[in-house]
This record gives sequence, C-alpha cells and structure tokens, in this order.
Amino acid sequence: MQSVKVANTMELADRAVGFLLSFISLSIFTYYTFWVIILPFVQGDHFVHKYFLPQEYAILIPVFAGVTLLSFLCVFIGYVMLRSKKKKA
Amino acid sequence: MKHIVKIMSLLVAMTAVWVGLLQASIVPQSYTWLLPLYSVVSLGCYGLLMVGVGLMQFPTCPQESLLLQKDIIEAKEFLKQRGVDVGSD
Repeated sequence: MQSVKVANTMELADRAVGFLLSFISLSIFTYYTFWVIILPFVQGDHFVHKYFLPQEYAILIPVFAGVTLLSFLCVFIGYVMLRSKKKKA
Repeated sequence: MKHIVKIMSLLVAMTAVWVGLLQASIVPQSYTWLLPLYSVVSLGCYGLLMVGVGLMQFPTCPQESLLLQKDIIEAKEFLKQRGVDVGSD
C-alpha cells in the first residue's frame, strides 16, 4: 500500500513537471513569435510595445543563451576528460 | 560516414534556400535575416514541449508495480535464507 501511495505522488509530480515544462515552452514560443513576426507590423506608438523589450534583444538573448550553453558543454567535457586522465595516471 | 554526408547535404540545402530567399525578397529582408534564429528557437521549444507532453502521459502500471513489490519481497526472503546480505528495510 505504501508503494501505491508513493507511485501516486510520483505520478502527480511527473504530471506537474510535465505541465510546467509544456507551459513554459508554449509561452516562450508565443512570446518569441509575437516579438519577431507580429511586432514589426504594429505601429510604433501602440501600447503592446510596452510589454516587449526592444527588438535587438530578440536576437541577443537566444544567441547569448546558445553561446552560454556551448561554452558550458565545452567546459564540462574538458573537466570530465581531465578528471579521467588524472585517474588513469 | 554516410550519415555525416546526409546531414551536411541537408544543411547545405537549407542554407541555399535561405540565401535564395534573401536574394529573391519574397518576404521582407529583415524577416529573412531572422529566419534561422527563429527556427532554432522554435525547434528548442518544440523539443521541450514534446518532453513535457511525454512526461504528462507517462504510464505508471499500478498492477505491475504491486507484482514487482511482491517479487522483491520474495527474492529478499529467498536470498536471506541463503545467507546473502540484503541490506535496507
């Protein structure tokens, strides 16, 4: 019985995390689509421009995130390689 | 080797389409410049969405879980009788 209860809470946690992930991804997608595709067509003094950062950031933020991810991957791979070499020697 | 050639040719084809779009100016040029970045971001979002949806739909098989627990108890008793250290509990 204990295991069934644990399985149920695990299932709930899985559902919650899955829902959170899909919600985050959908919101990022709609925000980015709005930013890049729809906003250039809207006039300069419309009120929605308040909710979106200036257009340069639409390029800077993904590029910055990609570069950070790449550098983190390289650092991680280098660290693992160094550690394995030290262990062998 | 063939796999790399396939991926490379796909990349070259997509780059050719992008440069062609740039030259032909079917869509406004500012959109064409942002198209690769937008595709990368939307691909990442799509992956995250699939992970979230998969998490939400993950099956838990409660009957199999019960049977598994019974099997574990059975195996533990069997091994304890034979003198193997089964730890925890």
